[in-house]
Amino acid sequence: MIDIKQLGRTYQREDGSAVLALREVSFTVASGEFVTVRGASGSGKSSLLNIMGCLDTPTSGTYRLLGEDVSGYSDRQRSAIRAHRIGFVFQSFNLLPRTTAVENVEVPALYAGGEVSRAKALSLLERVGLAGRADHFVTELSGGEQQRVAIARSLMNDPPLLLADEPTGNLDSKAGDAVMELLAELNREGRTIVVVTHDERVAAFAARELLLRDGLLVSDRAQDPVVRPVSADDGTHHVVG
Amino acid sequence: MSWARTLGLALQTLRRNPLRSFLMMLGIAAGIASLIAMASVGEATRQETLRQFKRMVGNFDTITIQPGSARTRGMPSLTSVEPTLRFDDATAIRREVPNVRRVAQEQSAFDIDVQYRDRATAASIWGVSADWMDIRGDEVTVGRGISSEDEDALARVVVIGEDVRQALFPGEDPIGKTLRIAEVPFQVQGVLVSRGAGPGGSSLDNLLLMPVSTASKRLFSRDYLTGITVQLADPKDHDKAVAAIESLLRERHGIVPPVEDNFTVSNPRAAVAQVAEVSATLSSVLTGIAVIATLIGGIVIMSLMLIAVSERRREIGIRRALGATRSDVLRQFLAEAALIATLGGVMGVLLGVGGAAVAAVQQQLPPAFLWGAMVGAVLMAMLTGLLFGLQPAWRAANVDPIQALRS
Repeated sequence: MIDIKQLGRTYQREDGSAVLALREVSFTVASGEFVTVRGASGSGKSSLLNIMGCLDTPTSGTYRLLGEDVSGYSDRQRSAIRAHRIGFVFQSFNLLPRTTAVENVEVPALYAGGEVSRAKALSLLERVGLAGRADHFVTELSGGEQQRVAIARSLMNDPPLLLADEPTGNLDSKAGDAVMELLAELNREGRTIVVVTHDERVAAFAARELLLRDGLLVSDRAQDPVVRPVSADDGTHHVVG
Repeated sequence: MSWARTLGLALQTLRRNPLRSFLMMLGIAAGIASLIAMASVGEATRQETLRQFKRMVGNFDTITIQPGSARTRGMPSLTSVEPTLRFDDATAIRREVPNVRRVAQEQSAFDIDVQYRDRATAASIWGVSADWMDIRGDEVTVGRGISSEDEDALARVVVIGEDVRQALFPGEDPIGKTLRIAEVPFQVQGVLVSRGAGPGGSSLDNLLLMPVSTASKRLFSRDYLTGITVQLADPKDHDKAVAAIESLLRERHGIVPPVEDNFTVSNPRAAVAQVAEVSATLSSVLTGIAVIATLIGGIVIMSLMLIAVSERRREIGIRRALGATRSDVLRQFLAEAALIATLGGVMGVLLGVGGAAVAAVQQQLPPAFLWGAMVGAVLMAMLTGLLFGLQPAWRAANVDPIQALRS
């Protein structure tokens, strides 16, 4: 799925000095994995996320997504990759204001070139447990609900890769856990998920954790993901992995 | 993204931001409204001016000749003109100039006292030959006009204008009544159809017509004319006829250039063309002002759009992250600008038509609906939107999604 080799990203400051945000980072993510990239603020995790999300291009090294080297892609080509292959989930939800839940879910389809299916958007909202909220404006929804709308949106074009940037950062722990459990469930259905976070609790939901420090990949380890009930009234336990 | 989908998206944004959209439309609407109103009023004025001119000078197939050089013009009156234009000049023109259909002679004097019993008024007196009314397109409402029999008989008859009728015969049938001009009795035999007001605003109805022979021999005792009106058989050969008349009169009056003519041949058609040109210039100036107003409307759209772009950076970042290309964003904002401007244009056309209708009623002008101008104005509004939307749309397209999402 993801094959990153010797990836570097350097920013030019206004005074001309260079900041090395990422240095020679290499790792791969196989299809169907649930990985967290953990690091403190300034560790380079945002830079890595932007490159993985095809919002930015590396200054050195290569990034192969689904076998395709996208490191040198043009803005237009990267837009197409974002539309078809990547679903984004953001810390601050980033839903469009003055727009209903279902309209937000439809937005990626506008840019994928095919039909915009209202039925599909509604079924995705149902999938994240918001069937009754489809026609609510986003401002009428709670934070947890907004993030679930965002997750439904990220699935609209059936992308093979979901990228989540601090998806629980603006939520209380209960709503945050619900969001992480939803992501874990989507992973169990076969989606590759990469979550970028500074939060160990969040990182604990994944089977593998990459640790970044000062732009360097300092650790890459497998772990037993935390085991949680999917819902309170469900007695069975799901083991992720 | 298809144009239809882009337009749908733009429409959605407009609907969800009604106040901002309305404010953006206002500027364009004001410009277009003034454009339509000015063009309509200009056109109505032009038509009205031509109509009035026609009423004053008759049909455009005539040439008028007045005594005196072009520099001594004014309203010719027996008391003010040189006695250079003779009755037989008119006869000679009739006989010798080709393409002449009819020739009418006139003797006019202004501000002459007219009395009927104890009522009095001051009016202009026109001694005219029998063809004069026909040539000018004048008609009577009641009674009859001046005939060649009246002329031959030196009949003491008059045809009065509407103002004279109102001044001397209020609520009374004037036909057959005898009024007095300088103590000479005249019988009223007709009333002229009102000609209304001239371009200067003064009434064209304060006059009396009588046979030119009667005027010359029984009233004024003058043997010269204040004017000759020539009607052409073929109005297209205007210039040739003017030249022929000029050379004939020079010969008859013994004038050899460079001696100045003691008569002036004028061509109402040229005068009308001049008036039409003046009003065309006026309407193009007004239209120019309105175009500038519309461009200012465009600038309003541009500045409000620029503000909107910086307010909507996050939205742009979200759309870009979800797969929108730069060109998708560019087109979205261009479509919004064009849509707003077009709607503003439609609003402006409605306002302008309304305004022109109000002005037409106030100024007593005929209503003018310039369909071409309306369609053109809406197109112009759309183009203005596209033009002034370009810069904001370009800025929107180049928003860095990473920066926008971080903010």
